[in-house]
Amino acid sequence: MTATSSRDDHYAGEPIAEHRSRLRATVDTILLNRLAVTGLIILLLLVIAAAIGPLVAPYGINEISIPDRLQGPSASHWFGTDDLGRDLFSRVIIGSRVSLMVGFIAVGIALLIGVPIGLASGFYGGAVDSWLMRLMDILFALPAILLAIAVLAVLGPGIGNAMIAIGIVYTPIFARITRGSVLTIKESVFVSAARSLGATDIRILRTHILPNVVAPITVQTSLSLAFAILAEAALSFLGLGVQPPDPAWGRMLAEGRGFFEQAPWMAIFPGLAIVITVMAFNFVGDGLRDALDPQQRSVIESRGQG
Amino acid sequence: MSDPVLSVNELTVSFGTRRGRAKVVNNFSYDVGEAETLAIVGESGSGKSVSSLALLQLLPTPPARVEGRALFRGADLISMTKSEIRGVRGNRVAMIFQDPMTSLNPVRTIGFQLMEPLKIHMGMSDTAARARAIELLDTVGIPSPGGRVDDYPHQFSGGMRQRVMIAMGISCSPDLLIADEATTALDVTTQAQILDEIRRLQEEMGLAVIWITHDLGVVAGIADRVVVLYGGSMMEESVIDQIFDERRHPYTRALLESVPVSGGDRPHRLKAIQGLPPDPTRLPPGCPFAPRCRHAVERCSNDAPRLRAPAEGHRVACHLDPADFHD
Repeated sequence: MTATSSRDDHYAGEPIAEHRSRLRATVDTILLNRLAVTGLIILLLLVIAAAIGPLVAPYGINEISIPDRLQGPSASHWFGTDDLGRDLFSRVIIGSRVSLMVGFIAVGIALLIGVPIGLASGFYGGAVDSWLMRLMDILFALPAILLAIAVLAVLGPGIGNAMIAIGIVYTPIFARITRGSVLTIKESVFVSAARSLGATDIRILRTHILPNVVAPITVQTSLSLAFAILAEAALSFLGLGVQPPDPAWGRMLAEGRGFFEQAPWMAIFPGLAIVITVMAFNFVGDGLRDALDPQQRSVIESRGQG
Repeated sequence: MSDPVLSVNELTVSFGTRRGRAKVVNNFSYDVGEAETLAIVGESGSGKSVSSLALLQLLPTPPARVEGRALFRGADLISMTKSEIRGVRGNRVAMIFQDPMTSLNPVRTIGFQLMEPLKIHMGMSDTAARARAIELLDTVGIPSPGGRVDDYPHQFSGGMRQRVMIAMGISCSPDLLIADEATTALDVTTQAQILDEIRRLQEEMGLAVIWITHDLGVVAGIADRVVVLYGGSMMEESVIDQIFDERRHPYTRALLESVPVSGGDRPHRLKAIQGLPPDPTRLPPGCPFAPRCRHAVERCSNDAPRLRAPAEGHRVACHLDPADFHD
């Protein structure tokens, strides 16, 4: 980006500066951020692993081989084997499918419920706002995992219900973030201008407000993906998520717990997978946040150029 | 004057506040005729913007309460239903706002925003609306409109954005255009161009214009008639030549004296108006200007003056006669 256009950003002092060039600037800024790039590469590898997992995995996920049980990492079993002699490397790779799917679908649910609630709340204010936000406060007041366990207690354990539970838990975050952004944007002159031109509320929300609140929602989405994956691991660890014999990192961690002294790799590798994935999402989220904030952006740019 | 385009009658706007009801506009009445420009002048907080926002039901109710009538081509804007007034907004009555930097959505193209009213009110297809948008950009003097229509607002200068706002305002050929401080944020050269543009469109389209401003220089350049608002009440209404010559209301006089005059023999001290505008929650019982008026007599602070018409085309709300002013 040239010096002129960054000066224009400051001069305009608008909530959101531009679109086409803004997208490019955002991408540029993210690429300057080494952590964010690292995160992106890790996520890309994960997605590929999840997509073509069965082709890469050297063994079947439920290929039991009792003679090979509890073997340490070796050339034939990179991550070792578990108490039934199953290949941990294969199981970790296939486990990424569950983590990513639960993460994306759960956050998708939270987005689909939370964003409209936030839009309605922020835009209409008054009683609508009070009721919706108090409802969100109630959800928010409960510890996330406890709430998810409560939802699962009602719906019954299973991967589908785990996604719904995690989705419900993260709904209030999206509702709040959206509401906050809408409150600022709806006071913009261009919203009054659209209204003075005869636009309906729905039209104003759709064409003028929503595109202007996308940035904070995007950042929150990538950060929430990390939390959702953690939550799924926790629920599976507790036996409420993925049911055996399907592999999931949280479950594998739970299974490895009993053999921690004889076969620490059973817990270490799925644990590492969780840590790395969550960190990757966090790095990308932080990178996005910096890139979408014009003030931060110029700091990063000067750092990148210097 | 033939039938007015807009006839506002006893418009009163108040807001519920923690300290009681704030009366921001009091019994405001005026007419605007075809192809006529009415300037509404007043300092900040005089109620000039609020009175025009109330016309299009653009104030949030509550806390606002709007009373009175505003007959636009015979139909009362104030009592219209939500969908009726939406059909008027941007279609029969258009509005331009003060700050062209923020009046356009930064994430949508100029063309997209120009096409909106055309699609809403005229039911135009995307292709037709786009063609018309380019035409409109040309009308308001944007060079090579075909190439600029897909630009984003940040690629336009302030003056050009205000031209775009005007283009949006006139896109459905309205009968009335309300310009709320439309040139205040622009530099004087651009301001002059915008004023020329409005005057030209007015002649071509027979557009009635309400020009809200605190800039008396702009008023002199564009208005046919002037209404002076103070503390939400009309102080004086006059045809343009008289407001500068035969001004009668002490507030109008004070306003004119507080404007710097260039080209005088020697610089003289500008006369500022002492004090502050009245608190709308505690308006004085008499003339709202009485506490700051140099000529106020006892009667002024107890008894609100009614509008009287000392001459054709002139209405004034003051107990005194200019003959009584000694200064």
